Parts: sequence; C-alpha cells; structure tokens
Amino acid sequence: MRFVADFIGALREAGLQVSPAESLDALKAIKLLGLESRETSKTVLALTLVKRQADQVIYEELFDLYFAGVEKAKASNKEAIKTSNKASNKEADKSESESSENALDAKSNSSSSQADMSDGEGMQTSPSSSLGQALGKNKDMSLAITQAAIDEKLSSIVLFTQKNHFAYKIMQRLGDEALSTEIRADANSPEHKSSLEQKNSPEHKRKQRKLIKSRARLLDQVKDYVEQQYGIFAQHKGLKYREEYLQQAKLSQLDRLDYKLMQRLVQRAARKLASQHSRKRLTRKRGQLDVRKTIAANAAFDGALFHTRWKATRIERPKIVAICDVSGSVSRVARFLLLFLYSMQDVMPKVRSFVFASEMIEVTELFKQQGIELALEDIMKRWGGLSTDYGKALAGFQSQALASIDKKTTVIMLGDARNNQGDGRTDIWEKVFRQSKRVLWLNPEQRNSWDSGDSIMSEYSPWCSSVEPCRNLKDIERIFSRLLKYS
Amino acid sequence: MSYIYPRVSDSVIIKHQEKIASPEIIQSRYEDLGYICSHSVATAIYLACHLQKPILIEGPPGVGKTELAKVTATYLNAPLIRMQCYEGLDESKALYEWKYGKQLLYTQVLKEQLGDVLRGARGLDESIARLHDFGDIFYSQEFLEPRPLLQALQSQDGAVLLIDEIDKADQEFEAFLLELLSDYQVSIPEIGTVKAVSTPIVMLTSNNTRELGDALKRRCLHLYIPFPDAALESRILATQVEGLDSQLREQIVALIGKLRDMPLKKSPAVSETIDWARALLLLNVEELDSHWVKETLNLLLKFQDDIELVEPEIKALLKSLP
Repeated sequence: MRFVADFIGALREAGLQVSPAESLDALKAIKLLGLESRETSKTVLALTLVKRQADQVIYEELFDLYFAGVEKAKASNKEAIKTSNKASNKEADKSESESSENALDAKSNSSSSQADMSDGEGMQTSPSSSLGQALGKNKDMSLAITQAAIDEKLSSIVLFTQKNHFAYKIMQRLGDEALSTEIRADANSPEHKSSLEQKNSPEHKRKQRKLIKSRARLLDQVKDYVEQQYGIFAQHKGLKYREEYLQQAKLSQLDRLDYKLMQRLVQRAARKLASQHSRKRLTRKRGQLDVRKTIAANAAFDGALFHTRWKATRIERPKIVAICDVSGSVSRVARFLLLFLYSMQDVMPKVRSFVFASEMIEVTELFKQQGIELALEDIMKRWGGLSTDYGKALAGFQSQALASIDKKTTVIMLGDARNNQGDGRTDIWEKVFRQSKRVLWLNPEQRNSWDSGDSIMSEYSPWCSSVEPCRNLKDIERIFSRLLKYS
Repeated sequence: MSYIYPRVSDSVIIKHQEKIASPEIIQSRYEDLGYICSHSVATAIYLACHLQKPILIEGPPGVGKTELAKVTATYLNAPLIRMQCYEGLDESKALYEWKYGKQLLYTQVLKEQLGDVLRGARGLDESIARLHDFGDIFYSQEFLEPRPLLQALQSQDGAVLLIDEIDKADQEFEAFLLELLSDYQVSIPEIGTVKAVSTPIVMLTSNNTRELGDALKRRCLHLYIPFPDAALESRILATQVEGLDSQLREQIVALIGKLRDMPLKKSPAVSETIDWARALLLLNVEELDSHWVKETLNLLLKFQDDIELVEPEIKALLKSLP
C-alpha cells in the first residue's frame, strides 16, 4: 500500500489532480485485484486515478518508472531469499567433506543472525563496520536504500543538481562513514591496532579489495536509485516551478523560449474563463413554460391557470471587440498580447480582433484561418514595429467597426497610448465608450510611467470604464475573470 | 418525508457474484456474447461492480461505448435504462415530472369533499386545523411520473443505467447528477430524498465535445476506449461478421489501421469497419482491389473532404497490404 501512496504523491507532483477520495478508490481497487500483475495494476490505477486524457501520457511514463523500481526490489528480495536458502542447505552438508573455506562462505551467507554473530567474532577477516559486514555477506541493499531514502526525504528532490547531494546523504545514512574509515585506516595507518604482518597478509589485502569493490557497487546502486526517484518526483516539479515563475514574470522580460510554455498557460487561462462564460450563456437559452411554477403560482386561483411562468428566456450573447497595438513602442509585449487575443478568439464566441500600428486592420479571419504560430508571425511581419498613430488607427476603427458596437459590446484595448505627439482623436474613443457596454484599456506599462513622454493615457482614460495595468499573466487572468463575470 | 419501499431485494451486483468474480471471467463471457473487449475494459466493469462506482467511458465515436452498456445489461439480466443527453435537458425530463393533469383533477375532487371535511367546524382556526389534518397527497408518489434516473433508482432488482453523451448536456445537469452518482439517491424537493432500492450500475459516455467537470470525474472510474489494435479488431470482425474470409479480414483491418493514421476529419471507427466488412461480404468481394474500395469508400469515410484525400492514395495503400 505504501507503494501506491507514494505513487499518488508522485502523480500529484507531476500536476495530476488526485483527490483523497480517488486515492481511497485506488487503494480499494488494488486490494481487490492485488499488485501482482503489472498490467492489471496499471489498468486499475489508470481507471481510478487518471481522469483526463491529457494526463494519460504522464501517468504511463511515471507508472513504468515507478513500478520498474518496485519490481526490481521485489526480484532482488526473492533472490536474496533463494541464496540464503541455498546457503543453509550447504551448511547442512558441512559435515561431509567440504573445504573449510567453502563452509565459511556458506556460513557468512546464511541469514540466521545468530550464526553471523558468532562467526563475525571468531573471524579475523570480517570487516568491523556494520555496512562492511552487510556488504560482505552480499546482502541485498535495495530495501535499506529505500528506507534511507525515505528518511532523507528523497521525494522532495527538485533540481538535478541535488542528485549527488542526496546520493551522498543516503550513503551516510547507510553507514558509509564507518566503512570508508575502515578502508582508509586499513590502507594508510600502519600504527592501526592491527599488526603489520596482518596488514600485509594476502588474506587481508583481498578483504580490503573486496570492501572497496563492494562499496563502489553500492554507490552505483544508490546513484541509480536516486536517478530513478528523480525521474519520478522532480522532472515535472521543475516544470511547475517554471510555470509559477512565468505567471508572475513581467511580459517584457520574457525570453522567446518561454513563449511556448506561456502559450500553454494563456490558453489554459482563456479556456478556464471561457467555460465559465459559456455556462452563463447556455442557461439563458431556454424558453419554455415552467409548468410547476405555473401551477404553484395559480394554486390560489382554484387551479385555473391565470398566470404563466416561464423559464428564463433572455438570450444574451456578449460581443467583444478587441484591439491590439503592435507598434514599435509595445513591440516587446505585442507578441504576448496577440497571443492572448488569439486564444480569446479561439475560445469565446463572437470576438472581433483588430491590430494596428498606424492603420487599423481586422484580423478575425486571419486568426480563424491560420494556426497560432503562423498568424502571429504573419501579423508581426506585416504590421509589427511600425510607428504608432492612434488618431489614424481610431479613424480606421470608426469606419470599420463603430457601427457594429452596441450596448452588448465590450471593447478591449491593449496598448500603451504612446502616440508620437499626434492627435489622439479622443472624440472617436468617446463615441466608442458611449455606444458600448464597457470599455477596458489594458496598458502594458506600469501606472507611474503613464502620461510620461508621449503617453496620452489620461486623455483616453475618461472614456474607459476601467484602465488597468496589465503586466503579467496573473493580471490578465484577473481582469478577464472580472470581465466575464459581467457578461 | 422519504418513503420506504415494501421489499428490498438483492441488487444485480450481489445476485450475480459468480459472473463478476474476476476480470478474466467477464472478458471471456462478454466474448461469448459477441463483445470483444480488452482487459482494461473488463477490469473497469469488474471494479464498477465491486466498488459500486459509476464508469465514465470516453473515446472516439464508434468504438463501442454504448454497446458496452447494452452487453453489460444482457450479461447481468438487468434492464437497461438509457438516457440520451442533449442541450437543455433538465430534471423534469431526466428525473421526474408531476402528473399535472391528474393533480388538477385531484383538486377538483378535493373541492367537492371540502364541505364534508369542514362541516361543523367552528371558526376559521379550526377549519384550517382540519385542513391540515386532512391528508395532502397533491405532491406525493401518486402523482409522480418517474423519468429514467428515478426509474433506475426504483427498479427492484437493480438496473444498468446508461447516461449517454453526458458531454452534450449542460453543466448544471452535470452538477445535478453528482448526488446520484456518489450516493445513489436523489432529492425531490416536494417529497424528500429517494434512495436507490438496489444499487444500479451506472455508465456515462462522453465524446469529449467539452471537458467535463472535475467533481463528476472524481466520482467515476475513468475508462478510455481507444481504437482497437489490429489483432483485437480482427477478432471483433470475426465475431460480428460471419463468413468473412480470414485473409480478407486481415486486409480490411490493415487498411483501416492505415486510414486511421491519415489526417482525416473523422477516422473510421469500429462500427464503420463492421459495416464495411458486411458490405464487402454482400458484394461477394474476395480480395480488396482499388475498384471495390473506391466504390465502397463512402461507407468508411463520412466527409467528402476525407474521401477526396484518400481516393488518390488507394492504390498505394492496397499495395502495402499483406
């Protein structure tokens, strides 16, 4: 059961949402069918824990990693039992003509601890550190390693640089210090309590070599184990850290490499918002007689149906017009703003998208026809980085879209209001404001740099329902969730 | 105000213990019934019975999601109660409805009896007190019209409840199902809580047209049925289409597999494979050739775009077959 619990922990780290109830189900199911067959347990855990198609891949990867380790441990356990059985058989045959060396070997292999004790005391060659003893007996160490790893909280590993550190700590926990001292002492200090001729005896040298060799083997084993656990626990954790960082990072400081990850985040946020959004729309679609309410309302009139009661019939489909500045002054964040624009149009009904530098261009169709990468590339190439002219752009907007703006429309402007000293044509923005339900201005600059230089934010802001700085993903998410709550 | 049923009988789950003793038994018996399933499907059924949990079945259309529920019902000798979901489905269609006509008649009857009831009452207070004593059955079982969900809960010997294409229903309906799925009970405001007489086996199917809520998923086992691999599909064909030459069968399966790798709008599903195989059998086709494939392609591909995409490739596809 421990395995399952740990495995669930690993799944959670990888970003799967596993609730306690589901964990309980998994445990119950495993109790019914057992962990013996790998295929069965894989299906069983998938059935109870993995509820999203997208998680399936992560699950399978983790399962294979995790249970490969478990099975290895099991197999070596069995082996250990087998060898010790063999050893005791040999011991039984000892009375017959067996060479003394063989018998000694068999004895030290035997699993009975009492025999070990007496042998250990009697034998000069047996190592003094407990780890050395364990290794000398070829005891299987995987259980001890697992235990040590749990004590050292290996599952909290996050970065690959921690791997050696954990390997070292586990070795320490296993009693490596005593073993190393022993090896070093035997090799370097002649005044160590064992006498010189004993040191040089071939038997002693052999023992030393054996110790060094088995220590190296153990180290390898520990490193393998840490590597495997890292695969289970940390790989995805790293990603999670990165995503958290990205959510708060300033848009202008994002690396191009981060765009892909960012894109995923934005889409997730947009989809989350859109699903809440579409729910509202659906409830209002119905327009039927509510029989129960009608009867209840007319109970006072002797069952004669006086008043009718209807299920809500208001159909309200909010329209969104989004305008995005792609000019030179916002070039560093334009890509990101476009990304959001694209995602928004992707998940919400009735979004019209515009971009502008000096000309206002509708890109709704372009977004519909092309994939996100291509569309963004295309827009940036054709219109990106040009000098801004809000006045001209707004005039263009007036002729293209002003007529379609009504009291159900929300207008969103993504821009920095830096107009190169030109006429801002605030009169058009005023018209937009008066005709629409709401006007939102999202400025990628922070508040105190508004109105500095050629920024004319304060000229537009009277004609906006709200003006918000929009500097990272968290901001955007917050703004949009509020936006959708209204609509 | 919950009411108790006179007899509580064994559910299908208890009654058929020996039939659901292990996933292997389920797998082989389903095969006898003509439903070839993978081991994971059988395990899901096994767990659903033993943990008494609903199964949420997802997968591309036509891989036998609905069929699985039907076969389960046959196998367990339980009635199959099916509810097709659609946008706008609400509790009056899914759970219960009042028999309004009869309720209105009842009020008429009541009115006539009112004189007898109130005869001799002194003052308004006493009249009202008598009215309260008088049994009120306006909202009671007598006037309740059970819909699929309630039927499933009320059926004496348990049932297999199939909630088909849950993704087509609204999100509120999903929330409404939660109580049913976790506790096998529903609340009817006028009556109280109705508990299941015997636990039904609940299966929900989804085509993934929208992401289902986490709360719903948490309450269900999640079974994903993918397109079957070649070996499994070949076995399905063998049971479903009798008299099909084995070599032709292999060819069909291989070709379908190739088609599924192509970027089609809608990949051919198992049900389409079966239809196609039946058609080929009817037409007495002994070996796949480009003529027959071209003639019957519309059985496999349901979009003109797809057909136009595949048609020029037919020769190449056929060449690569075994």
